[in-house]
Amino acid sequence: MKNIYEVRQSNEIKSFIVIAGFFLFAAFVIYILTQTFGIYMGYQPGGFGYLGIALTFSGISTFVSYYYSDKIVLSISGAKEADRKEYFDFYTVTENLAISQGLPKPKIYVIDDSAPNAFATGRDYDHAVICATSGLLDKMTRSELEAVLAHELSHIKNYDMRLMSIVSVMVGIIALMADWLLRVRYFGGGRKNSDNEGSIGAIILILGIIFAVVSPIIAQLIRLAISRRREFMADAGSVEITRQPNSMISALKKLESDTEPLEAANKATAHLYIVNPFRGNIKGAVSWFSGLFNTHPPIEDRIKALESMA
Amino acid sequence: MIWILVIPLALLFFYAVSVYNFFVSSKARIKASIQEIGNQLKRQSELIPNLESSAKGYLKHEKGIFEKLADARKAINRAVESGDLQKMADAGAKLAGMLPDIKVVVESNPEIKGSEVVQNLMNELRDTSDKVMYARRLLIDLSADFNVKRATFPSNVIANMFGFSEVEGLKMDEAGEATKVTRESTKTPKVNLE
Repeated sequence: MKNIYEVRQSNEIKSFIVIAGFFLFAAFVIYILTQTFGIYMGYQPGGFGYLGIALTFSGISTFVSYYYSDKIVLSISGAKEADRKEYFDFYTVTENLAISQGLPKPKIYVIDDSAPNAFATGRDYDHAVICATSGLLDKMTRSELEAVLAHELSHIKNYDMRLMSIVSVMVGIIALMADWLLRVRYFGGGRKNSDNEGSIGAIILILGIIFAVVSPIIAQLIRLAISRRREFMADAGSVEITRQPNSMISALKKLESDTEPLEAANKATAHLYIVNPFRGNIKGAVSWFSGLFNTHPPIEDRIKALESMA
Repeated sequence: MIWILVIPLALLFFYAVSVYNFFVSSKARIKASIQEIGNQLKRQSELIPNLESSAKGYLKHEKGIFEKLADARKAINRAVESGDLQKMADAGAKLAGMLPDIKVVVESNPEIKGSEVVQNLMNELRDTSDKVMYARRLLIDLSADFNVKRATFPSNVIANMFGFSEVEGLKMDEAGEATKVTRESTKTPKVNLE
């Protein structure tokens, strides 16, 4: 039996290992791909010139969506700001949870959709946004709502939006560079062989092409692993705020029993929802494999982790 | 060669600075969280007369509720004026303790139970006692963080160096009733749904 402080600590350690591993992997892949580019294009390896271009491409788009993440919410169909009178529980619970964490109250919005779900976004505490669907607000009791919103507040508190943006930039860079390398190889193949580069050049070239094929998939898998880790962390954070694992468990059970996909969801923000908005829950033998491609851990696993705290 | 000496020393220095800053800033946050408790209680005592006047018509026959509310409000006002953290916490608990009483009255009378004004009264009372509870939670969490860091190695070295003493947080009567488990409280509570 672990108490919430131990859970938080082990969560933080696991999270750190996954994230550190990802950055090492990304640095390594980018280095190999750059070297391969260098050899392939016929100049001495060692330059990071292509990295610069890839960084610019992938970075700008992610940075914009990260920086304006609170504004983008408004553009999602029908998200309107929740007022105290109409959404009394939603408003006051958010207010109370923010008091307990000493954070400014996030802006809160409601999406008119019967699929119960909620997400948080925003680049920092002052621009934080929590968005809930009307389905969630209808189906949850006040204490369950408290658990769900505390989960979202934990995402805000842990700067998950920032972390996932950085990780997405890295995945984007790897994918972009791998794509370029394969295109160059395919279209320009045979123009200039590596005969005159010596055997080391040839090895790097082969290695580079293998990396170009494999690394985008691996990078994506690690990104999703980080996302799942952060979900466990936000669940534990929710219990730390409300001290009521049971209300989180019953909220998750309610969410699990609902299989309606959320129409307003998009892939870029899927990792910030309380449960996977696409509802791709496959059970049985393929579930472990398909689980690798999920932004969220299976709800049963989350409930199990919460039960160990209760 | 000199780097072998300089780098660890610099790291040590930065660590010491960050720990020192943690202690100083969390002291300030603890102070602010105490003010937040007072702030929420003040809100509570201002809210109660408003709720009273709006629900009075519906709860004409339940004078007892209003007497209790008035008592709680007076206690809160006194506590906020005295500025004593312990009194503030006690006063906040008084209102939370009243909620079940009010609920019993409301539930037993379907006529007033259905009214929106009374529902609103219940919601607001629950919310305001939640707010005070969460404000206290912030103080408890912050002082726990502070005290853990003050007592554990290696940050305790810095704490001792600058003489940071343990913060009290929210005082609980350690030998008092709150820490005792009576035979009564181990029984499963009976809920009467009639």
